[in-house]
Amino acid sequence: MNDFNSLKCLDRFQFLFKRVGIDYDAMRNILQLKLTMDQRRVPAIFSMNSSKKKQGNQFLKSLWYYVLYGLITVPFLFLGGHYMLQMSLLFGITMFFLMTSMISDFTSVLLDVRDKNIIGTKPVNKKTINAAKMVHVGIYMALSAGAFIAAPLIVMILTKGIVFSLLFLGMLILSLIFIIALTALIYIGTLHVFSGEKLKDIINYVQILLSVGIIVGYQLLARSFEMIDFAVSYTFSWWHVMIPPIWFGAPFEWLLGQHNAGGIVFLALLALVVPIISIIIYARLMPSFERNLEKLLNESGTSKRPLFDVDHLWSRLVCFSHEERVFFQFAAAMMKKEREFKLKVYPTLGMALFFPFVFLFNSLNDLQSGDIGDGKAYLTIYISSIMIPAAVHMLNYSENYNGSWIFRTIPLADSTSMHRGAIKAFIVKLYLPIFAVLSVVFLFIFSSRIIPDLIAVFLAGYLETVVSYKILNGLTFPFSQSFELAHDTNTGFNILLSLMAAVFAIVHYSMLSVNYGIYIYIGALMIGSVVSWLTIFRNHNQTQPNQAS
Amino acid sequence: MTEKILSLHDLTIDLGGKRVLNGINLDVYKGQIIGYIGPNGAGKSTTVKIMLGLIEDYQGEVEIFGQDIAAGDHTYKRRIGYVPENAEIYDNLTASEYLAFIGQLYGLDKDAAETKAWQLMREFDMDHVFRTRLSAFSKGMRQKVLIISSLLHDPDLLFLDEPLNGLDANSVMIIKDILAQLAAQGKTIFYSSHIMDVVEKISNRIVLLIDGAVAADGSFAELKEQSKEGTLEDIFNQLTGFDEHEDVAGNFVSIVSGGAHHE
Repeated sequence: MNDFNSLKCLDRFQFLFKRVGIDYDAMRNILQLKLTMDQRRVPAIFSMNSSKKKQGNQFLKSLWYYVLYGLITVPFLFLGGHYMLQMSLLFGITMFFLMTSMISDFTSVLLDVRDKNIIGTKPVNKKTINAAKMVHVGIYMALSAGAFIAAPLIVMILTKGIVFSLLFLGMLILSLIFIIALTALIYIGTLHVFSGEKLKDIINYVQILLSVGIIVGYQLLARSFEMIDFAVSYTFSWWHVMIPPIWFGAPFEWLLGQHNAGGIVFLALLALVVPIISIIIYARLMPSFERNLEKLLNESGTSKRPLFDVDHLWSRLVCFSHEERVFFQFAAAMMKKEREFKLKVYPTLGMALFFPFVFLFNSLNDLQSGDIGDGKAYLTIYISSIMIPAAVHMLNYSENYNGSWIFRTIPLADSTSMHRGAIKAFIVKLYLPIFAVLSVVFLFIFSSRIIPDLIAVFLAGYLETVVSYKILNGLTFPFSQSFELAHDTNTGFNILLSLMAAVFAIVHYSMLSVNYGIYIYIGALMIGSVVSWLTIFRNHNQTQPNQAS
Repeated sequence: MTEKILSLHDLTIDLGGKRVLNGINLDVYKGQIIGYIGPNGAGKSTTVKIMLGLIEDYQGEVEIFGQDIAAGDHTYKRRIGYVPENAEIYDNLTASEYLAFIGQLYGLDKDAAETKAWQLMREFDMDHVFRTRLSAFSKGMRQKVLIISSLLHDPDLLFLDEPLNGLDANSVMIIKDILAQLAAQGKTIFYSSHIMDVVEKISNRIVLLIDGAVAADGSFAELKEQSKEGTLEDIFNQLTGFDEHEDVAGNFVSIVSGGAHHE
C-alpha cells in the first residue's frame, strides 16, 4: 500500500482530530486501506467506455473530465448585471454536479455494511470509524469540487480579484459540507423509515430518481435562461429562501456588491448557518444511522401474494406457446425486481418519457403560432424510441448471471421461445407504458387525427426492438451475462441502431405528404414486423433438419 | 472454577418488533470450548453480535473480562478474535494487505503483523498467494485468511461462527487441532455451528439455544445422560422437539412423486 498525498496533507491537521477524541492513527489506517481499494475500483463516469480494468486510481484520471465540465460554468461569470445571478447559477451547476457524483460514486461508501462487521468488531471506537467514513468521502468531494471549479476559479482570479476568489472558496467549502450532510440525511431518513429488502428498493428508486432529476434539471436550467430577468439589480422574493444555490450567491451581493437589503443579508446568513446546522444534525444522528445500517443485512419482511397477477394476464394475451409464456413471466419479474437492471435502464426510460416534450416545446417555440394541433410536431414522439437499443441490450445482463445455468439444463422444445418471451416482456412492461403515457398526452394536444400515426410509431418501435435484439443480443440467453461485460460490447451498433428511430421518423414525415401515405407506411411496417419476427425467431429445432436436407 | 471470561445476565433483545433473545444467562470460564448450537433463527449470531458491540439496544448485562461492555469502552475487543459467519472480507485487497490492516487495527506494528501473517499463511501452504488479491481466492482459502486474521493478535477469547465453512477434510483436521491446543493454553472459544458431529467432538461444553433462551447446558456426556440419546444430532432433535424427520421426509418424497397431479 502506498502513501497517499491526501493523507500526508491530512497529517498536518491531526491535532484537530485528536482534540475531538478520534484515534488518528487508526483512522489513517482505515483511510489508507480505503484509498487503496478505491484504486482498484472503476467509478461511474468511466464505466461507459473502459474495456479493461486499468491500474491506478481511475477516479483521479476522471478528474480531467471534471475540469472540462467546469469550463461550461465560465460564461456564467459574465452573465447579466449582478453578482446574485452569476454566482447563484454558478453554485447551482456546481452543486448539481457534485450531488450527482456523490450519489453515483459514494452511496456505496456511506452504506457500506462490510465496515460494520470487519472494522466494527475490532478495538476501534465508533467515533473514529465514522470520522474515517466522513473524511473518505470528504477527500473525494474536495478533489471533484477542486477539479470542477479550477477553470472558473482561474478566470475569477484574473477578472474579479483575490478577495472575490477567496470568498468563492469559502462558500464552496460550505456548500460541500451542505451537500455531504444533505445526502447523508436523506439516507438516514430512508433507513429510519424502511427496512430490509424494501429499504434496498427505496434506495434504488432514490438513485434512479436523482439521476433522472439531474438530467431533467439541466434541461430546465437551460430553458430558464429564456425566462431569466436580466435586470440590473436583484430583487428579493420569498421563494428564494427555498433554493440553496441562491444562498451561496447572496454573500457576494452583500459583501462585494455593497447591497445590504434585509433579504440578501438573510440569504447570506443561511449560506453560513444551514451547512453548519446540517453537519451537526448529521453528527448527532450518526449513531442511529449506524444502528439502522444493520437493517440492510436483515432479510426481513414476508411478501404477500398479489391479488391480481397482471403479468400472467399479459402472458396469456401475447404469448402463443407455454414455454414462451413462462419466459415472459420470468423476464417481466427480472425487469421489475433486479435493482442493477433498473438502475441501468429506468433512467433511460425516464428520458424517453421526458425528451419528446422538450423537443415538442422547442418546435412550438419555433412555430410561434397558435395552430399547434395542425402541425407535424407530434413526430417528436419518435425520440422516445432512441432508448430502445440501449435498453434491449441490457436484457443480456444480470447481477445474478450465474443463475443462467438453469437454461442449459432444462429440456426446451424451442430454444428461441426464451428470446421471444423476453422481447415481448420488454415491449409490454417497459416500452408500452411509456408509449401509452406519451400517446395520451399527444392525443390531447393534437386531437384524434394522429391515431394512425401513433399506430405507425408503435409498429416502428416494435420493429426497432426486434432488430436491435437480433443484432445486439443474438442468441445469448437473456440475463445470462455479468454487467461488467456490458461496457465493452457493441457501443457502435448501439448508436447506429438508435439512428433507426430517426430514419423511421424521416420516412414517416415524407409519407405524410402523400395521399393515404400513412396507411401505406403502416402496411409496410406490419409486413416488416411479421417477416422479421418469423425469420429471426424461427423455431430452430424444427428448421435445422430442413437446412440440412 | 477458574477465571470467568464472559457472563451474560438476563440478555434480552427485540429486533424489528420480534423478541430474538429472551433472557439468556450464561457464564463462561477460561479454557472452555463452548459449542453454541440451536436451530436457524434461535439467536446464536445475534448473541455473538451483541458481545462484539455490533448491536447495542439490548436489555440485561454483558460482561466480558469482568467489564460491562455497555460502558462504551471498546478496548475489551483487543483480546477478542472473530470469524464471522458470512465470510465478509475486503476482497479488493491482497491477503498481505488485508492481514496487515487487521493486525494494525488490533494494535500490532505493521511489519510485525505482516511477518506473522506470512508465517501463518505458510503453515497453511498459502505463502505463494500472500500477495494475491482475495477476490481470486477459493472459499476455503478465504476462510483460512479469516481464521488467521482472527488469531494474529493472540486473543484470549475467540468467537467462531461456522469457521469450517468451505474447508476440505484435511484443513478441518488442522483447525480442530489448533482449537484444542489453543484451549489447552487457556484460550476461551465460543463456537457456533450447525454441524453436530464437529461440535460434539471439539467442545467441552455445549449450550443449546431455542427461541432465544438456553434450553440445555452441559458437557456432551451430561447431555447424553439426560436425554438417553446416542449422538448430539439425536439430542438436538429431541431437545428441539423435532421427532418427525421421517414423516417430513416421507411427505416430501410423496409430493415429489405425486407432483404431476398438481397444477
